[in-house]
Amino acid sequence: MTTGVTPPRAQTPAPPRPPAPAPAAVTTAILLATAPGEDGDAAATLRWDASETVIGRLAAQVASVGAASVHVITRPEWVASVERALGRRAAAPGLAGDPASTLAGGGAPAVAVEASPDPSGDLRAIARIARDSGGGLLIAQGEVLTQREALAGLAADPRVSTGILATVGRVGRPFQQRTRSARGRVVSAASPYHGVTKPTTTFLGVLKVAEADRETLIASAERLAAITADGLPEGWDDEIQRKMGIWRAVLARAAWRQEMDRESPLEHDVDDDNDTPELELPEDPSEIVLSDEDEAEIARRGKVVPNDVAAMLVVALVRSGAQVGVSHLRKLFWARPITPAGIERARLDIQEYDEDKVLLDSSVKAADGFFTTFFVSPYSKYIARWAARRGLTPNQVTTISVLIGFAAAAAFATGERWGLITGAVLLQIAFTTDCVDGQLARYTRQFSKLGAWLDSVFDRTKEYAVFAGLAIGYSATQAGDVWVLAGAALTLQTVRHQMDFSFGAARQQVIGETKYPPIEQPSDRLGAGVAPKPAREVTADAGPEAVDPPRPVSLPRRVLGLWRRLDRMPGLIWVKRMVAFPIGERFAVISITAALWDAETTFAVLLAWGGVAATYTFAGRFLRSVAR
Amino acid sequence: MNQALTVYRDDGQFAVALAKLGRHVPVPSAVFAVLGALLVLVPALLAGEDADESAAGAAVIWGMLIGGLATGRAETGSFRWLVPPAIRLTEYAGLLWLGAVAGGSGVPAAFALICALAFRHYDLVYRLRHRGVTPPAWVDNIGLGWDGRLFVGVLLLEFGALPAGFFILAGIFAAVFVTESVAGWTGTVRSQETAVYEEEEDEGQ
Repeated sequence: MTTGVTPPRAQTPAPPRPPAPAPAAVTTAILLATAPGEDGDAAATLRWDASETVIGRLAAQVASVGAASVHVITRPEWVASVERALGRRAAAPGLAGDPASTLAGGGAPAVAVEASPDPSGDLRAIARIARDSGGGLLIAQGEVLTQREALAGLAADPRVSTGILATVGRVGRPFQQRTRSARGRVVSAASPYHGVTKPTTTFLGVLKVAEADRETLIASAERLAAITADGLPEGWDDEIQRKMGIWRAVLARAAWRQEMDRESPLEHDVDDDNDTPELELPEDPSEIVLSDEDEAEIARRGKVVPNDVAAMLVVALVRSGAQVGVSHLRKLFWARPITPAGIERARLDIQEYDEDKVLLDSSVKAADGFFTTFFVSPYSKYIARWAARRGLTPNQVTTISVLIGFAAAAAFATGERWGLITGAVLLQIAFTTDCVDGQLARYTRQFSKLGAWLDSVFDRTKEYAVFAGLAIGYSATQAGDVWVLAGAALTLQTVRHQMDFSFGAARQQVIGETKYPPIEQPSDRLGAGVAPKPAREVTADAGPEAVDPPRPVSLPRRVLGLWRRLDRMPGLIWVKRMVAFPIGERFAVISITAALWDAETTFAVLLAWGGVAATYTFAGRFLRSVAR
Repeated sequence: MNQALTVYRDDGQFAVALAKLGRHVPVPSAVFAVLGALLVLVPALLAGEDADESAAGAAVIWGMLIGGLATGRAETGSFRWLVPPAIRLTEYAGLLWLGAVAGGSGVPAAFALICALAFRHYDLVYRLRHRGVTPPAWVDNIGLGWDGRLFVGVLLLEFGALPAGFFILAGIFAAVFVTESVAGWTGTVRSQETAVYEEEEDEGQ
């Protein structure tokens, strides 16, 4: 079942309700302090700084993003030290200067420590806590060391109801579990005992479960608890061995690459490109020779990984068909240290992260066009911050933007040179303002459904009002008229958008119809049975768990593969994005051509470039449809 | 099963009736949709505004009939995503051509009409995405569906009621679509399902 697709037509009349501020999406947090540290104590009890331990810091952070009650699950022998670790933390972390601090639920949370003998017991405890509490749940590995914004991004984002904190970057590899996501939704996930084909993202140990999915979570936790209660199902242990084999290969390659860099520093900075020479590794991972340090790390992580019930729950949720979204770490700091040395490294690293700067930088939409990214976003984010400090809401900014857009259309409608130039300038101001509203929303996390709708509708309104203005202006001052061109440009643009929407909807539909293998099966392939693949299929660590069985590659697939590989060439990704003629480029074309020439030129360029873009995107989608 | 693509098509009564026929033809709906669009687009580009009124009308009706075979049913097949854009192309290009053939301010009138329709078509997408709902049936009925609008457009042309007819339709549609959509926000419907956010201009990796 895809979501976002409608239920019945009937609209139940509901009392008018202001869209914001939304109540805290998360009311209960469960922290899993079950990973053993070096000294035989829980790794989460390691000290972070003079005033806090890792678990204490995390408990305060989850409380500040809305969790009114925090449960910490740990092993019976660690209960005392975990309680000490929690008591040691300072009253509340300083949130000064945080634009979203108003969203944080204030007050000290109630923290309860619970003992559980093993992962199966952890799962039963999670099921019980989920049943006894209302609202959304946050489940996190207790050793997670990150910035509050990363947790807030997951907890407060209404676009992710149930979801995970994840990254597409290298953070967390190779020890965190991998996931594959498509269109912002996790379609397959790994756990210590489950593999994932073609992973795209890494699960960073924090899972949010919406109220609506609580029953699914409870059922998943109980099911997993039952099948892991007396030993593991067939094939599960092989999977964990396979993963440890992958770690060996990854660490060996990393060490080798470091060695190569020392010898010739400039040649190997290309990450994971298949063209770079690769280290030949023995087929049996146990024969891989590692440094003592790496061996020790693998031994430690090997003791940590079987406790990873958070990842197991992600697998179970995904495989029961729940819609699990993805909240990205962006460029925030994340680590999961389990030794004092790891903490030390994290402390040095985190200093390089300016939370507000990262937040501001990541308020810029990830995949924007060339013009927007290089000519608008660099300064519009500062306007967004200014607007946030002035207390402007995204919807106010959106409204200002559309009014300026109408002013631009009116100026264009004069048809005079001064009008065209004024209109061009106003249109650029309107476009900048339009970028600001989204950045402001992301920066202050004031997402609202109304805001998203207003933004989308007003964007289109602005653009087509400008078309009309240009055509009116042309008729007023020139002999002929350009209404046919204006109508053609309008048609082309709406048809292009309609194709984008429809392609997206069709893909959603495919994802929604996906059947998932049962949770007992380690492989994520339907009907793959229980036998895991041998570890030797590991290629580059770009996708350690991902090797398709060899099968004949069709021509469209080969073309697509080649096309995607082109993205690695510096700059080419921008060319591709420009060809698709996104909104920033369109508005730039309108402004420049209208100011320098006239409306006829504007429409001619819009039609020519738009036509190329339509052909280009159509060709890509056609190939992908054939390749499926 | 896939409501989204069905909603995007914005079908009227003709399309629903034609679909009963189309269902028996073992050809993917995308083929009909693209064929219908070509039946309008090619003569429109070749003959332009000088086309004979009845010839243009006939071409548009043919495009509508063939395109209609693609609609009224649930979308399946790898190319199902082609149906809504092809239908949009048939409709907008058809209306624009009819306006051009009518002469005078027929094209600006068609432009105004298309603007009103574009509001509806974006709104269909956005309200489904952000609120998980579709417009009430009475709005769909007033909107006539893409097929109904093309049919009315041809009638208006044949009876010499253009461009006034387009301006009037544009006014009625704009009033109904915008008012109803805005009203929908004041009595906010709380959807149980999550809004799915997609990037608009996703050019696909």
